[in-house]
Amino acid sequence: MIDAWVYIEHDSGEIEDVSLEIVGRLNEIKASLPLRITGFSFGRDPGEIPRKAISQGVEHFIFLRNDLFSFYDTQSYVNGIEGIVRERRPDIILLGATYQGRDLAGRLAARLKTGLAANAITLNIDEKGLLYTGVPGYGGRFIAEIVNMKARPQISTVRQGIFRKLPQDNSRSGEVENIEVKFGDFSPRLRVVERVRKDVKDITKSERVVIIGNGAGNNLKPIEDFARLIGADIGVTRPVADRGLAPRDIQVGSTGVSLNSKLVIIFGSSGSNHFVSGIERCKNVISIDVDRNSNIFNYSDYCVVADMFTILPYLNRRFGGQ
Amino acid sequence: MKNIIVCVKVVPKTEDVSFDPVTKTLDRSKAENQINEADKNAIEYALVLKEKYGGNVILLSMGPMFFEPFLKIGIAMGADDAILLSDRAFAGADSYPTALTLASAIKKIGDFDLILCGEESSDAGLGQVPSQVAEFLDLPQALFVSSVEIEGNKIKARRSVKGGYEIVELPLPSVISIELGINQPRFPDFKRKRWADKEFKIKVWNMKDLGLNENIVGLRGSYTFVNRFIETEPPKRLRRYIEGSPEEQAEKLYEVIKEIIE
Ligand SMILES: Cc1cc2nc3c(=O)[nH]c(=O)nc-3n(C[C@H](O)[C@H](O)[C@H](O)COP(=O)(O)OP(=O)(O)OC[C@H]3O[C@@H](n4cnc5c(N)ncnc54)[C@H](O)[C@@H]3O)c2cc1C
Repeated sequence: MIDAWVYIEHDSGEIEDVSLEIVGRLNEIKASLPLRITGFSFGRDPGEIPRKAISQGVEHFIFLRNDLFSFYDTQSYVNGIEGIVRERRPDIILLGATYQGRDLAGRLAARLKTGLAANAITLNIDEKGLLYTGVPGYGGRFIAEIVNMKARPQISTVRQGIFRKLPQDNSRSGEVENIEVKFGDFSPRLRVVERVRKDVKDITKSERVVIIGNGAGNNLKPIEDFARLIGADIGVTRPVADRGLAPRDIQVGSTGVSLNSKLVIIFGSSGSNHFVSGIERCKNVISIDVDRNSNIFNYSDYCVVADMFTILPYLNRRFGGQ
Repeated sequence: MKNIIVCVKVVPKTEDVSFDPVTKTLDRSKAENQINEADKNAIEYALVLKEKYGGNVILLSMGPMFFEPFLKIGIAMGADDAILLSDRAFAGADSYPTALTLASAIKKIGDFDLILCGEESSDAGLGQVPSQVAEFLDLPQALFVSSVEIEGNKIKARRSVKGGYEIVELPLPSVISIELGINQPRFPDFKRKRWADKEFKIKVWNMKDLGLNENIVGLRGSYTFVNRFIETEPPKRLRRYIEGSPEEQAEKLYEVIKEIIE
């Protein structure tokens, strides 16, 4: 039996989609391999987390309980999971490539003296239990298939929006273990003094996305109007997020998210590798750029060479706006 | 404040790397190299902290000798010292031995208050080195940080989390990774660059200097191996140009969008 663990990341009980997407992929693999899928979380109170995870394909759940887990400190979490990993020796540990997952995975792998792959976009396991992860490099132009034959567990983070979670099914059942973690004389050296967050749209699942590129400057209004008129969500390229005009969560590309949209419309992007890897899976791509030689046109179905601020008023009027 | 150590990597420009379909390997030979972008942001941030709180900025890098001129660019930007960890045995390292080697050098430097890294490199982009350096030094960490304030022997760092940020408090010393793009790295100072090129000597430390052995560094110390490279085929796109006056373009675009939506 191959023992695969998935970090079920949650924020006050709300499970990250990517955790369940990994579980979805493992369930596909399980169809042809003897695989046991264990979920694990940290927190103060399990609440509905184990039940929700089980209804989406986790077979066994470990909840690590301690008051210290109410905020995220890398060392507390690594110390909290280390003992049980050493004792049970899972073959594989997978985490979402979120801020937290990436922060945790590196330290955990170093602690356990094992290898690590990051940001995987393909996941395969062979009958010997070897994990093959496809890791994009150079902004997504190449995928390096990585394998760790030397040590266990094999650890990888997995990119969000790549795999599909299973439909929720409350008739699924699984074993739940609540484990009270004892820390001895450890106390965290990091303290969270302030937390500012908004709910952000997960655009990896949006059917239509309008992307604001750096060419828009600071004048986002006409593009935002356009997006609203066609019922699309907004995404941005990296420089727009860098300038603080939009949250990083809606940044598209190798250090942002990958879209799976039916339609994506891009205003003012030069089409660098780091960006276009995020729109590869979209069905229809339309781009507007003043520069006829913009590389974005090589990745577009429809190419419009135009100043966006000239064309947008016409478009907005045509779609029924002012 | 004591020393601020900045971990730096030199990477090939993404656009210059090609794929050899016969050998199925990456060809970096024609690529221009540069300091990894996020690391440049980290150097800039270290210089800002130095201006505010004092201390020396030390650049630390593991790589072949051709990294030297790039480290001198960092010196010309204002860094005080640079150490290059260079040894044949270091080649082929994945993140584990890389972090281990960097951490050994940091221990050897000894006298430091803060370790800064870029959030990730633009080549492999794993972003795991900062976390692993922190583990090997048994120091606290905050990653994806966009600003740092120092009060006494404590740091307040702003780190990105989903949908926003957290202000976290950590002791000195700690390991911090700096978010890509948080600042505009300054240009190297012309005079300092000339001085650096002519007179400044980068310290070069090898495996023995760090008290490490062949089995734990480089390829032999690595856990992961590239099974194969796959070049991603960008999806075939129509690349149909919509021409005409802006008004005509808008009209045609309207039709195209309507058809896709419906
Ligand atoms: C490690 C690393 C990771 C990265 N990750 C990402 C990532 O995840 N996502 C990402 O987007 N980038 C990422 N980048 C940055 C990336 O390399 C590019 O710098 C970035 O994508 C450029 O954004 P852009 O195309 O919007 O802007 P620019 O390159 O500035 O292009 C702007 C475009 O707008 C056009 N334009 C200007 N004015 C107008 C107008 N009035 N009307 C129409 N067109 C106009 C210009 O012709 C130009 O083509 C990363 C870089 C590194 C090093």
